[in-house]
Amino acid sequence: MPIYDQTYRRYEAREPLRRLRFWPITREGLRLVLVRRWFLALMMAAWVPFVVQVIRVYIGARFPEANRILPVDGRLFGELLSWQASFTMFIAIFGGAGLVANDLRTGAILVYLSRPLTRRDYVSGKLGVLLLLNLSVTLVPGLLLYAVALALAPELFWKWDLAWIGPAVVAQSVAIALTMGLVVLAVSALSRSARVAGLAFFGLLVGLEVARGILHALYRRPETALLSLQADLRSLGVTLFGMSERAVTLPWTYPVAVLAAVCAGCLLILRSRVRAVEIVR
Amino acid sequence: MAGMEQGALVEFQDLAVSYGPVPALAGISGAFPPGPTGLLGPNGAGKTTLLKTLLGFLRPDRGRLTAFGLDPAKTPLEVRRRIGYMPEVDCHLPGMTATAFVAFAGELSGLPRDEAISRGHEVLYYVGLGEARYRTVDTYSTGMKQRVKLAQALVHDPDLLLLDEPTNGLDPEGRDEMLGLIRDVSTRRGMSLILCSHLLRDVEQVCETVVVLNQGKVAAAGPIAELTGPRRSVYDVRIKGDAAALLTDLKDQGCEWREGEDGYRVFLSDGLGPELIFRAARDCGVQVRYLRPGAESLEDVFLRALGHESGQ
Repeated sequence: MPIYDQTYRRYEAREPLRRLRFWPITREGLRLVLVRRWFLALMMAAWVPFVVQVIRVYIGARFPEANRILPVDGRLFGELLSWQASFTMFIAIFGGAGLVANDLRTGAILVYLSRPLTRRDYVSGKLGVLLLLNLSVTLVPGLLLYAVALALAPELFWKWDLAWIGPAVVAQSVAIALTMGLVVLAVSALSRSARVAGLAFFGLLVGLEVARGILHALYRRPETALLSLQADLRSLGVTLFGMSERAVTLPWTYPVAVLAAVCAGCLLILRSRVRAVEIVR
Repeated sequence: MAGMEQGALVEFQDLAVSYGPVPALAGISGAFPPGPTGLLGPNGAGKTTLLKTLLGFLRPDRGRLTAFGLDPAKTPLEVRRRIGYMPEVDCHLPGMTATAFVAFAGELSGLPRDEAISRGHEVLYYVGLGEARYRTVDTYSTGMKQRVKLAQALVHDPDLLLLDEPTNGLDPEGRDEMLGLIRDVSTRRGMSLILCSHLLRDVEQVCETVVVLNQGKVAAAGPIAELTGPRRSVYDVRIKGDAAALLTDLKDQGCEWREGEDGYRVFLSDGLGPELIFRAARDCGVQVRYLRPGAESLEDVFLRALGHESGQ
């Protein structure tokens, strides 16, 4: 039977466009990332610090004298999120570096943009993948740890003056997830290879952190923290969780301004690179 | 062209589009009627630019373009949901099976997930990938990738299908099957399409109407039957003797010619008849062995539109 004799049904039931047009992009992106077993292993490994902190809370609640060595207070959450930021870097590399680069390489960008989707929908969909992955290892364990702390050590945490912990966890988690997500997407949009994008992102983050370390060793000034994204995030965490890390202790407006500028720059890169038409000038 | 505007799906009036300082479309006017239409032109003629303007990727510098009465520059989403686009370049999502890819494309076009999956299977069967639909697209041959591209363009049942070089990279059998599918989509399923191709034979096999672009301008447009119909001023001629002398003589008298497979195709000026050829042959001492009124082919129309006319 000739192939064209096979059935083809006209589709008349055209519905209004859905509001969350980016959602299928996010969902498929998550599916493609999470089918990789080693990536799932990475996501699970990212929960190890949570388990460590839960044990610490338990010990702090059961053995109050241990608090002198390992104090159990708001800083616990800042430390957790500081560790989690490192995991988000690897999640961004392995889960995010190819999100735009692969579409540019395979021409799939046209599949998206020739549909009833805006470029904003496309970027939102891709960013959604990274936000969900990153928040699942920052916000979720952070809030869960708070819940565990309230349950295991109410005498330590069930206080009005520690009620800032929840909002602080949310703010720091969103800052980490958004920054890492936007930066890796922007780097991904500048390349047509997921590997190159992943290496570039890793080099960027590590390179800036090394440069910060060298400058700090030379000048001993906390402003050097503004050079590195991770240090900016740590600096924000220091403010939010009352931690003491002199190398990155700055007024909160400084790291927030730098992170906001970085995010804006990334959006500009995405705006110029995510196009259905490549104009070579 | 004037008659084509009635009930046209796509209309453009004084449409000018440029890439920075480089003009791509220089104030063109015309229309694509319902049904299959060929969009022809050499490289850089502005074909893909016209398609991308139609999809709302490019904004006109001047003039206007409407599709289904909507302006793609102002309402791109409404226009795109009614269009299926099969790009010239390879396009697939790495790691996805054909089923997942086509269903995903349907969802992006606004189909509910269940319907998108169901139609994905159906359309993949339709394009002849029923057995291979659970394989990842990365593992497909060029021909199969072309079919997947067609499937993703069809999945949401568009009103207008834009096909950019759909037979690229296909062997003769694959090309015939692809053209068969495209013809079927148009004739039996009643879908309008714009077939953008370098290959005149492809356009001739599928389309009823043609628009020829050259250097950003509309060089010819209209129903193929009208453009290529039998004309008394075209003759297929076979001669014996000094052909060069005869052809020079004909050219001097304002006629044009083109070398054919088995002789020459002579285009006479309006009002002239075959006696001119016989007279010129007698004057040059050339024997006319065969003379028959010819019909212009799409290739003749194309070459004339491009200014590469015979005898030049």
